[in-house]
Amino acid sequence: MRPNKIINLAFLILLLAAFSACKKVINVDLNSSSPRYVVQGNVTDVPGVYTVSITKTISFDQDNVFPTVSGAIVVITDVTAGVTDSFSETSPGCYTSHVLAGTPDHTYQLYVNAANNIFTASSTMPAHITLDSLYTQASRFGGTHPQLVPVYTDPPLVGINYHYYHFMEYKNDTASADVIVRNDALINGQVVKQPIGGDDLVSGDSVAVYLECIDSSVYQYYSTLNQTNNQNSATPANPLTNLTGGALGYFSAHTSSVRSLIVRP
Amino acid sequence: MNRPTKLIIAFMLLLLPGVLNAQTKFSISGTIKDKKTGEALIGATVKVADKPALGTATNEYGFYSLTLPSGTYKLLVGYIGYKEQELTVSPEKKSGFDVALEPEETQLNTVTISSKVNMVTSAQMGMEKLDIKEINAVPVIFGERDVLKTIQLLPGVQSVSDGNSGFYVRGGAADQNLILLDDAVVYNPSHLLGFFSTFNSDAIKDVTLYKGTAPAQFGGRLSSVLDVKMNDGNDQSYHVSGGIGLIASKLEVEGPIQKDEGSFLVTARRTYADVFLKLSHDTTLKKSSLYFYDLNAKLNYKLGKKDRIYLSGYFGQDDLGLGGLFGLNYGNATGTLRWNHIFNDKLFSNTSLIYSDYDYNIGINTGGISANIQSIIRDWNLKEELEYFANPSNSIRFGFSSVYHTIEPGNITGSGITNSTQPDNHSLENAVYITDSWKASSRLNVDYGIRVSAFSVIGGANLYDLNPDGAVRDTIHAGNGQIEQTYVIPEPRASASYTLNDVSSLKLGYARNAQYMHLISNSTTTNPTDKWVGSDNNIKPEIADQGTLGYFHRFKNDDYELSAETYFKYMQHQIDYRDGANVFDNTPLDSKLLYGDGRSYGLELYFKKKVGRFTGWVSYTLSRSEIQILGVNNNDWYASRQDHTHDFSVVGIYKLNKKWTVSSDFVFYTGGAATFPSGKYEVNGQTVFYYTSRDGYRMPNYNRLDLSFTKQLKPHKKYTSELVYSLYNAYGRENPYIINFQQDPNDASKTQAVQYSLFRWVPSISYNFKF
Repeated sequence: MRPNKIINLAFLILLLAAFSACKKVINVDLNSSSPRYVVQGNVTDVPGVYTVSITKTISFDQDNVFPTVSGAIVVITDVTAGVTDSFSETSPGCYTSHVLAGTPDHTYQLYVNAANNIFTASSTMPAHITLDSLYTQASRFGGTHPQLVPVYTDPPLVGINYHYYHFMEYKNDTASADVIVRNDALINGQVVKQPIGGDDLVSGDSVAVYLECIDSSVYQYYSTLNQTNNQNSATPANPLTNLTGGALGYFSAHTSSVRSLIVRP
Repeated sequence: MNRPTKLIIAFMLLLLPGVLNAQTKFSISGTIKDKKTGEALIGATVKVADKPALGTATNEYGFYSLTLPSGTYKLLVGYIGYKEQELTVSPEKKSGFDVALEPEETQLNTVTISSKVNMVTSAQMGMEKLDIKEINAVPVIFGERDVLKTIQLLPGVQSVSDGNSGFYVRGGAADQNLILLDDAVVYNPSHLLGFFSTFNSDAIKDVTLYKGTAPAQFGGRLSSVLDVKMNDGNDQSYHVSGGIGLIASKLEVEGPIQKDEGSFLVTARRTYADVFLKLSHDTTLKKSSLYFYDLNAKLNYKLGKKDRIYLSGYFGQDDLGLGGLFGLNYGNATGTLRWNHIFNDKLFSNTSLIYSDYDYNIGINTGGISANIQSIIRDWNLKEELEYFANPSNSIRFGFSSVYHTIEPGNITGSGITNSTQPDNHSLENAVYITDSWKASSRLNVDYGIRVSAFSVIGGANLYDLNPDGAVRDTIHAGNGQIEQTYVIPEPRASASYTLNDVSSLKLGYARNAQYMHLISNSTTTNPTDKWVGSDNNIKPEIADQGTLGYFHRFKNDDYELSAETYFKYMQHQIDYRDGANVFDNTPLDSKLLYGDGRSYGLELYFKKKVGRFTGWVSYTLSRSEIQILGVNNNDWYASRQDHTHDFSVVGIYKLNKKWTVSSDFVFYTGGAATFPSGKYEVNGQTVFYYTSRDGYRMPNYNRLDLSFTKQLKPHKKYTSELVYSLYNAYGRENPYIINFQQDPNDASKTQAVQYSLFRWVPSISYNFKF
């Protein structure tokens, strides 16, 4: 649960309703920035090929064409099993695995060497939790678009250890822009039926929702990424990454469980 | 004996010579009030007719004391806007020094607005006094007269954002203002997300703002003290007054409990902005609420000749709700029980027991979860102040204040969730002070004093030992009621005025202030859920040292006033967030903070016309405010959000004729520092903005013109009324409220900046009456 997001949303709705706010696109003179590396790596418990992508940042005014980084050395080690996999660049900036098999409770280490810039990260895959079902319901915030309800059972934990969840929502094969993360600090050991965004669903849309169990450093990454995207703090900042060496992005070893549906009228 | 205690004793000894050289003299004392309403007059002057230099002024309770060499004197008792009265005194005369002044009949077409203190001779610096008449004449948004928005038009005071009652003083943050209502701290001085202040201007008698240069009886905040005093209530006859506006209505009732002996005052105000929500087509918005109300009440009663009891209180509540899914309630409650006692002609005592409370409550009911988040800050304060009018050239104030703070940091309870509660935080904030107003010569006035404050963290809640990166190294469980840590800070204050001639003076001042309670805020505007925290082992008390130099000039028999003040301020232990900090989760707040220093300097120019058909002022501030936070922007100094290079305001009030008054204000300021992205990249197929520095950019400049027309309606016997038409942001300037960066919805290859503005051409009409 993220009360601050709800508060901000409520404030904005009330403000817009109460006062005639106006909105316009303006020209802001933003500095150009020197490029930084962006690394994204995922290992899941779904058998198959895992990818690590390396790109660079561009200036705000440029078109959204993000330069890829080729010729890097990418290695992921399953520390628990003692397996090391050297990735191959299968398309520009995209590196894929050969032998790695993602397993819950295993710890994975990422090593990237791009033009002698070394980035490393470590992530431990939590236990697998299955997405039991997925359904739609009328939005309780009003409006005509239905909400999505992913249902899963949060296993009880003792003490201050938490489960961390990340949801990926795809509407007609397009990923939602919303970053949805949760922990079970307040919902420990329950069957969870909290709705997620919905992304303006209409009848006939095909929707897939992935439930990912992530570790605490990846949870921190996604929740701070969400803050960065929301831009509602006085001092927006870059998300807190688990990568060392100065790269943006993240490295996540997580479980994955998917359900899909077609929105009915 | 520790060092600060020794310092105080040495200091008190220094005061003695001035106190001891009494010759054959006699003292008189009395109170000065308004004849019609019985309201005590603050700052009324008592002068010896042929020796104007021998004189004094009344204190906050209308009390004065005067010591004169043996002889018979004619005294002149005066107050701006009132008829002067004469009073003959001699050593034989033992009583009859209370004076009731009669207000002057309003002269046709003239208005007097004024500061009541002679700013040329007074040693006090960095002080602004606002008359309630001025506050009522200045146009404001929604036609709702507002103390906090009017003070933003003064030099050195800046608005937090458009239409907001939050303010910055001399480069200090919004939480560095001590806002007092009858001596009780008001922790959140705003309603409806900052668009209204908690002060109902009908209930207010006097407003004084000290810009970091307050005398030693005030303390606890770095940047300013805003001392708001409520009306006592009319002790002569009953009156009802009120106003009906588009957004809010209010009613005030006052009258004597017993004529000349005591009076009461009750005011109430309620907004109904949510009526507009009912017009919405959206079903959730229709079921939403958005309103506030507040109540002020005050009683005072004379217990004999030497004692007077006051009881005053404030209660305000905001209610925001979104269709039963989400609710936010918050409000302040304050109470002050005060006892004034006159020991003798030279010694006046004021004892107060003060209560102050701010709480918020968030309710969420969605997705099978019903949760409640509650946070409270509550103070009990015992204060004793003695004013000793030692001799004609020294008057000494001394006293103590002891505050017990309780903070409930934010407990989460509800059904369908795991409850999360944290132990309350307790702390004790004590202070002793002594200050002397010394007329050193006919040209030199000096105010000097010291406040020694002490803050003790009381055990019960956990303290944390942190690594440099903010991670918790160790948790310290402190015993209940045990004192964990005490900070003691001596705060010397001094200012002097040197009169160059009858009309001008030079002033010099220095003040140190310490702050132990901090508002942790990471939002762009005033947010009711920002957290108050006390100093602890990690959060050190904030300290500010400020030096000021000023020139004051009055023209044409006080009709005009000009001042120029410069200041330099250095602030230690300023607080900022670490990147990505989230105050709402239950990990220790201390580990999310970073610390550093701040500095601020500027020049403030102020020109005021106080008398005539046309009155008003021009104020201009040129300033710079910077901070250096360890861990931000490579530890370099950078412009803070309060940094507005130029800040210019003009206020004009013109009385057209007996019926119509026109007033207008214009504001311009340089946009404050803001954090904007310098680049972008892609994560999971989405564009993410890339930030390279904190507060490295600027918001666009702000400007606005407001107009107000007041029509005095035809009076009937005892009934008077007026209609006020106002237009906020008259030329419809789109001032930025927020600037957001986003993907261009029409072109996937582009990103864009979008500016949101709130208020353009906000018209309003209100009707005020009194009988």
